[in-house]
Formats: sequence, C-alpha cells, structure tokens
Amino acid sequence: MGVKKRQKDLTTLDKLYLPEIFKGLALTFKSMFKPKVTMEYPEVKFEPPASYRGRPVLVQEENGVERCVACGLCSRVCPALAIEVRANETELEKERYPETFEINMIRCIFCGFCEEVCPEEAIVMSKDYELVFTNREDAVYGKDKLLVPVHKLKDRLEFLRNFK
Amino acid sequence: MNIWEIIIITVIKIGAILTIMLLTVSYLVYFERRISAWIQSRLGPNRVGWEGILQPFADVFKLLLKEDISPVAANKFIHGLAPFIAVFVAFSTYAVIPIGPDVTIFGYSIQLVVADVNIGVLYVLALTSLGVYGLTFAGWSSGSKYSLLGGIRSSAQMISYEVSMGFSVGGVLLMAGSLSPIAIVEAQYGWMWNAIVQPIGFITFTVAAFAETNRLPFDLPEAEPELVGGYHTEYSSMKFAGFFLAEYANMIIAAGMIVTLYLGGWQVPYIDKLGLGEIVTALMQVGSFFVKMGAILFFFIWVRWSIPRFRYDQLMNLGWKVMFPLSLINIVWVAALIMIFNL
Amino acid sequence: MPKITIDGKQFDFNHGQTIIETAKENGIEIPHFCWHPKLSISGNCRICLVEVEKMPKLVIACSTLAADGMVVNTQSDKTIAARNAVMEFILINHPLDCPICDEAGECKLQDYAFKHGTGESRFVEEKQHKDKRVELGPRIMFDAERCISCSRCIRFSDEIAGRNQLTFIRRGDRVTITTFPGEEFDNPYTMNTIDICPVGALTSKDFRFKSRVWEMSSTNSVCTGCARGCNTEIWVRDNKIQRLTPRINETVNGHWMCDDGRLNTFKHVNNEETRIDGPHIRVDGQLTKVTWNEAVKEAVKRLKSFNNTEIAFIGSAFATVEDNYAFQKFSKANFNATNLDFARHVVPGSGDDILICEDKTPNSLGAVLTGIQPVADGMNLAEIINGIKSKKIKALYIMEDDIAQLDSEYETLLAKLDLLIVHASNKNKTTTLADILLPVSTYAEKHGTIVNVDGMIQRMRPAVATEELERSLDQMPMSRWDKFGTKFDRWARGKKYDAKPSWKILGLLSQELPNKLKYKMAEDVFEDVSQHVKEFSGLDYDLIGEMGVKIKSDKITAKV
Repeated sequence: MGVKKRQKDLTTLDKLYLPEIFKGLALTFKSMFKPKVTMEYPEVKFEPPASYRGRPVLVQEENGVERCVACGLCSRVCPALAIEVRANETELEKERYPETFEINMIRCIFCGFCEEVCPEEAIVMSKDYELVFTNREDAVYGKDKLLVPVHKLKDRLEFLRNFK
Repeated sequence: MNIWEIIIITVIKIGAILTIMLLTVSYLVYFERRISAWIQSRLGPNRVGWEGILQPFADVFKLLLKEDISPVAANKFIHGLAPFIAVFVAFSTYAVIPIGPDVTIFGYSIQLVVADVNIGVLYVLALTSLGVYGLTFAGWSSGSKYSLLGGIRSSAQMISYEVSMGFSVGGVLLMAGSLSPIAIVEAQYGWMWNAIVQPIGFITFTVAAFAETNRLPFDLPEAEPELVGGYHTEYSSMKFAGFFLAEYANMIIAAGMIVTLYLGGWQVPYIDKLGLGEIVTALMQVGSFFVKMGAILFFFIWVRWSIPRFRYDQLMNLGWKVMFPLSLINIVWVAALIMIFNL
Repeated sequence: MPKITIDGKQFDFNHGQTIIETAKENGIEIPHFCWHPKLSISGNCRICLVEVEKMPKLVIACSTLAADGMVVNTQSDKTIAARNAVMEFILINHPLDCPICDEAGECKLQDYAFKHGTGESRFVEEKQHKDKRVELGPRIMFDAERCISCSRCIRFSDEIAGRNQLTFIRRGDRVTITTFPGEEFDNPYTMNTIDICPVGALTSKDFRFKSRVWEMSSTNSVCTGCARGCNTEIWVRDNKIQRLTPRINETVNGHWMCDDGRLNTFKHVNNEETRIDGPHIRVDGQLTKVTWNEAVKEAVKRLKSFNNTEIAFIGSAFATVEDNYAFQKFSKANFNATNLDFARHVVPGSGDDILICEDKTPNSLGAVLTGIQPVADGMNLAEIINGIKSKKIKALYIMEDDIAQLDSEYETLLAKLDLLIVHASNKNKTTTLADILLPVSTYAEKHGTIVNVDGMIQRMRPAVATEELERSLDQMPMSRWDKFGTKFDRWARGKKYDAKPSWKILGLLSQELPNKLKYKMAEDVFEDVSQHVKEFSGLDYDLIGEMGVKIKSDKITAKV
C-alpha cells in the first residue's frame, strides 16, 4: 500500500483510471487459477480447535455420573436465559445433582459464560456445531443429549486449564 | 421462395434463436456464478448434476415454485406488465443481429439473421431505449421508495449513456455507410475491424453497453447495498425471473452488438482465401461469432467481479464529461480517416 | 439525652443500648453473625469488632454498651483489618460448598466474605471434616462443616421456643452442635433457626434443593394457619409455591412463625390432584366440568326454585373480609337470607403463648364483623344442621369451608339436601357432595384482607397466577424467569388454574339476579366494607399497607 494520493496529486494517467482498472482485472484473472479454499461440507467437515465454542455440554465422569451439582450459576449467568436447572438430592457424596438440566439451543448464543462461571468444570463448550431442529421442542436439549463422557472433552478441558 | 416458405423459415429461425438465447441466458448465469466463485477462491455451484451443470434448471424450478407477491401499495397492472416489457424488448432486439453469412441449406439460400432490416442498428437503439420503460415502470408501480429510486436512476442513466452510445455508433455508420447490420459486418472485411480502426469508439461503445445493461460498475438501479435491489425489490417468483432473464439477455445483445459493430461480426479474417467449402466456412464463421461473443461475455463477468460500483455523481460525470466528448472525438477521427484515405 | 459519635456523626441513644443497636437504629450496619436483635448476646463471632477512642483494644459492638461521649469508628483501618482477619479465621474450616448449599444467595457468610473478606486464605492445611446431612429433627437437616458456631439456634430454642434442645459439644475446631441425649429438635418453632442461621448449616428438609433463592419471586402475604396471621413471604417458582418465610412485623409475629404454618398452609395451592380446575355441575350423579356461564346460570336457576327460608348460607373464616362481605350482601339482598353463619374451627388446648392460637381460622373476627351471623330469628350453624334433618332447609350454599369434615354425621346429612352449592379451592368431603362446585382462588392467588385474633387487619396479595391473573399486567412480583419467559419456554409454563375469588363468583351470580354486585376489584369490595362496617371505617388498602392496622373497635374479643 502506497501513500494515499489526493486528487490534485494525480497524474493524467492516474486520472484516466485505466491502468488501475487493468491492474485490478489482472489480479482477479490471476486469482481464478489459485487453489480454492472452500470446504465441501457434508463430505469434508471442519475440525475446530480447542478454543472453539460449540454447543455447551455436561461433563460425564468415567463412572457415568455428571459432574454438575446443579448450583444454578450457569442458569443465572446465561444472558439469553437458555439454561434451566432443577436440583434434587442424591445419596452420592456431592449431595446435590441436576434432576433436569435443559438448554434451549434456540436461546443459546454460545457466549461461553456458563462454562466460565461453572465452579465444577461441569459444563464446557464442545466442538459440536451441527445443531438442526425441525421444531422448537426438539431444540430443548435435556441431560440425555447434554451429557458427554469426559474423555471426549479432553481438548477443551485442557484448554480451559491453560487459559481460563 | 413463396410466402409460406419464408414464413416457415422465419419461424424456424425465431425458434432456433430463442432456444439458443434462453439456453445461453441460463448458462450465462451459471458461468457468472462459477467465474465469480473462482475469482473469489471459491468453488461456486457444483452440486446439481456434473460440476453443477444442471444448476440453471434448478434455479428456474425454484423461481417457478416461489410465491408471487405483489405489494398492497403496488399498481397491480403495471407491476405485472413491467417484466414483460423488459423480456419482450430484450428478446426482440436479437432479431436483427446476424450470426453468420448467407448459407444454402436444402437448396434454400438462408440469411443467418431473423430479419435483415436495413435500419437494423437504429432498430436496436430504439428497442434498447424502450427497455428503460420496463425498469421505470417496475420502479414506479411497486409503491416502494427503493424501487422508485432504482427506476429513476435507471432512466437517468440510460438516457445519459444512450447519447454517447449513439455517437459511437455514428463512427461505425460512417465507415459502413449503411444502417444494416449485415452491411456493417461485411464492411469489416479482413482486419478492417472497427475496434482497430476506431479504438476510441470501441471503448466508448463498450462502456456505454455496460451502462445500458446495468452491469457493474454501473448497476446503480439495483445497487443492493443502498437500494435493496432497486427496481426489482418488490418482485418475486417468475416476475423477478423475467427481469433476471432480461438483464442477461441484454448482456448477450450487448455482446452481439459489440461483435457486430466492432469485431467484424461473424467474419474470420481472410478465411475465404483458404479455399474451404461453403458449409465449412459458414460453420467456422458462425463459430467465430459465438467465440467472439463468448469472449465479450466473459469480459462482462470478469469486470463485474473486479471493479466496484460508481457513485451516482461519478456515473453522471463519466457519462457527460468523458464519454460524450470522447465519442464526438471518435466521429471526427473517423471522418478524418475517411477523408484522408478516401475509404 | 446521652450522645454517641459513630463514624463522625452524633446520635442520641437510650441508656442500656449497645453500640450495634444504636448504629442499626441510625442506619449504620456493623457486620454481625452471632448477634440477633431478638436473642441474648453471645459475642462469640467477633466480626462486629469496632474501634472506640481511648479504649486500648477493639471492642465487640454487640455487647459494649453505648456511653455518653463515646466515639466509635466502624471504618478505621484497624477495624477493617480485624474484620478481614475474623473473616479469614471463620472461613478456615468452612467447606466453601456454596454451589451445593441451599443458603447461597441469602447467606450472611457469603455476603460478608464479599464485603469484608480479602478473598485470600493463608490456611493450607486440611480442613476439619465433620458430619454432613445430620437429621437434627423431623424438619431440620444439619451440616456440621458449614456451621460457624454462632450459637444462634441454641439460643433461639432456649429463649424463644422455650425448649432447650440444642447444645455445643467438643471444643476448638471440632466444636459441633447436637441435641441433648434422647432429645429431638422438634419444637413447633424449629424452622426459624433456618432463617436465623447465618450460613447453610441448618436447612429445611422440605425445601432442600428445591430452588435457588434468586430463581423465585417473593410476595408479602399473611399465614392462614391460625388466627395469629403471622406475616409471611410467599416464594414462587414456575407458578408454584416453593416455601414460606416469616416477615418481620413487631406487632404481630416479630421475626418468627411456627413450623406448622410454614409447611402446611401452602401445599394445597400446588396440589394438582386436589385443585378444582374450572366450575363443575353434577350431571347424572357425576361432577362434570362446564363453563362459568353455564355454572352460574344453573346455580341461579336452581337457587330460585326454593323459598328463601329453605336456603341456608354458610360463610367462612378461611375466606377474606371481602369474600364474606360480598357473601352476606349477595345472600341478604337477593334471597333475603336469615339463615347465615360460619363454622368455627377452634381446637382447645392447641395454642401456646408464643404465636399459635386455638382458633385455626385466619379471619374469624373478620367474618363476624362483616355480618356472617344469623339475621334476626334466623338459624345459626347448629340450627341449620337441624333444619336439614327436619327438611326445613333444602338448599345450602357453602363458601370455602369443608363443613362435611366437622362432624361424622354431617356427610350423610349434606347428601340429603336438594341443592348444595360449594365454593372451594381443593377437593374435600363437602365438594364430593356438591351439586354445583365453583372453584375459588386460594389465599395466595387473590387480593384481600383478613383480621387476626388481635384485630389487626392485614393484606394478602396474589403470588400465584390463575387463569384470570397475568403476572405482568396484574403487577404481581416477578422473578427473572417470569419477566423474560415466552410461551415457547418450558420454564415459563407453570400450571394456571381456572379459579376466581369468591366475591367475583358471587358478582357473576348476582348478574342473573335483581340485586347486582358491581365490584371490579377486591379494593371496590373493601371500599364498600369501609363504608358500611364501622370497625373498618376510613380504612383502605394503602392505609393497611404491608404491616396492617388495628381495626376501630373498643372491645376486640377473641371470643367469636
């Protein structure tokens, strides 16, 4: 990028615009033969980096129990009111567990506040970006869809440990 | 040839030209999308059929199935009429553009033009002027401010650039001494292409042709970022497709006119000297016409994806203060050539 | 008057007041855990340390008497340093399990850690582990780890509830609370310790983990468990009552309420199985749901088919002043009613001298004052029952009371009636016998007033929405969920019952009768009451306010 010229500084050739137009045309012509950047989606899928904020999921420990203690902070911090938590008592040591945990994926804005506020590292943003529903009810994800085994979330958990 | 034979031959010619036109228009859209994609390092439509070859049909199908909406504030009759004017003008212009020399098929000598009108060039200019009605009507009748602005811009722009277009053609007419497109083509025998003889006229005509077809960098009547689509903002379904069709048909006409007036039409320089048979020569000549036209069309598309849109005052400045004087200079230049070389 | 200077400002005080009391009276908050205005001074938490000029060391504001000329500084560097130190010390063995703890959001320790803590701890050793989930009593769960040993609960049970059931055991960092051997923490007031516990050590078994406090809306109301009318707050989430808590009103209940009132006066509001949803008419022996219009037309048509003397009307001490007034006005104006009374629900010996009354209805005085009494030689309740036996009474109109429950023979008697119209919120013995059943809003779903045993007239407000109430339009308290919910959000779809307050139902009925009740709001009814009943004259909802006022009567008797 050269120094920006004012109109009074232009030479006659500049004023014709034609050289610049031909330069532009040459550039676009050249770029026609450059390699294409398009990913052909259903066949080729984007593998996001660990910092990617896909749909929020609940961490499921190896023993099958969710980490979540249903404190409700994610629900409170959620700017879009997407999360609803209903707690109940469990015999486990953690005393409290989410009886229902629902995220309305239509409301969710993928801001990651829930992940940031979570005191138990129980809700994290996954790499999953494929969210398709055909009605509003389907968009409400319950525990059945939200729970993801911890080994599948290693990337993100490590990222959080390093950068959060 | 009796009257019936003439009618049948003409109908066949019309049918052939219309088919070619429609196919070319569809594929022009397809190529425009592919080329624009390549320029932007993308792939473009490549899903429908092999490399997206059936995409135009999918597009037409989609447009057919869409709901036809006309706004409450619209003047329904004119709103419906406008796209027809646009399409009618675009297609009927093509009647006078010759795509090849006279050929003899089944004993009939046939001119490869629908109608050899001796004022062909005038006919084209007249019809393209009519074309502005389609756009202006559409803009006015939609009952929307964006449409109205688009329509007004289109009429102002067309009138401004028609002047320089007309004067550019003046140079061609001086050279050929005729208004008949066939005569003009024949006058460019050998390398006497008007593009070479009168380059200024070639440039002004080409630029004016861009403006007349509302192609970038002169697509102010549509101007999506400011006018939301301009005169066709309130159109949907097949009525929208009409304008779409007309725009691309106009491109083809503009390309055809440029080829006819400046690039020697169907002529291949000195092909008759090679001593090929009549049919082969004719085929090569028709082929050369389409190759030249294709090159011009590619240029249209290429320019669109390279150069940004003008501001409205820049457009008017260019039209009146640059193009118009240049086209006058061209006429003087041609006249001088004729005087000096006694052409 | 003696003067004290706190934070550079001079205040008057009475002899015998402590520094913390004087400060509180004048709007200066000195942090405190163990001090409570209604309990004796213990002085063990040390968070209220303040600097007093000319005293060598900091003193605790809760037990130091204010003295004339004393200069107190609650914001000096020394004070703040001491506070930080005390916070750090208290938090040494606190488990910091706020995400699990029910107290989170209304926790004194949490608030003070935020306001007065440094946010850091130098304690790196392992924390003391103690028992969790200890059942101290039938209604109380105790978490020993969270306890900061302020002894408020111990002092409460000894001094307020009058039952010395709790005590500290062990010493130092192992100190914990337990009941005396063989005792259970089961006095009628145990749950107040949940409210006064500054941390989440004592939690309600009933409310445990049900909802976070910030997810509920709270509405000022009055307990309907007995004639005391303790001031309460109703906490609602998803249009369901989650808990009741006492609201401070020195003239009625002080800071407290009884466990029975807290637990047993709201469950029926939420009970989907027993709530009556929409009006019902008996068709072919079955109660069938009908529209309001049909039910009202049917009720009026059938009431008209009897002689006025064959109809008896029974009001209710469970209903509001407005309902009872509308009831007597409706019956007297349209049916010339003389057989008018209401049932008493007095359980002798059930009261105590703290809060609980023998009269188990919240509005007996209100019912009497608004005129739910036999007119001239009309029948009272006992006579009405006899009248049913002798076929003198053929139709009975009962508003908001389970008459069949009162006596074992009543059920068969009521079944003999030609017409039984019942207003009720929940199904009960009486409603199963009803010919026409009209659903009424509960006390938590309507505006109204009740008069307590001492003649305090107090306001109730809707906390739960019914079909005719819209939270935002009717200016009901709203939680964040209520404010931003749409019909597409599951959490915004709380059950709404099709029910109306009795005065409104009576108004509907009267539209089909010569003398119409033209009330649009509960306030209109009360205006009518204040114009016609001398005890209520000059009163309106604004005057009653949040705290209630005493009605105008020289002889208020609990004998009704």
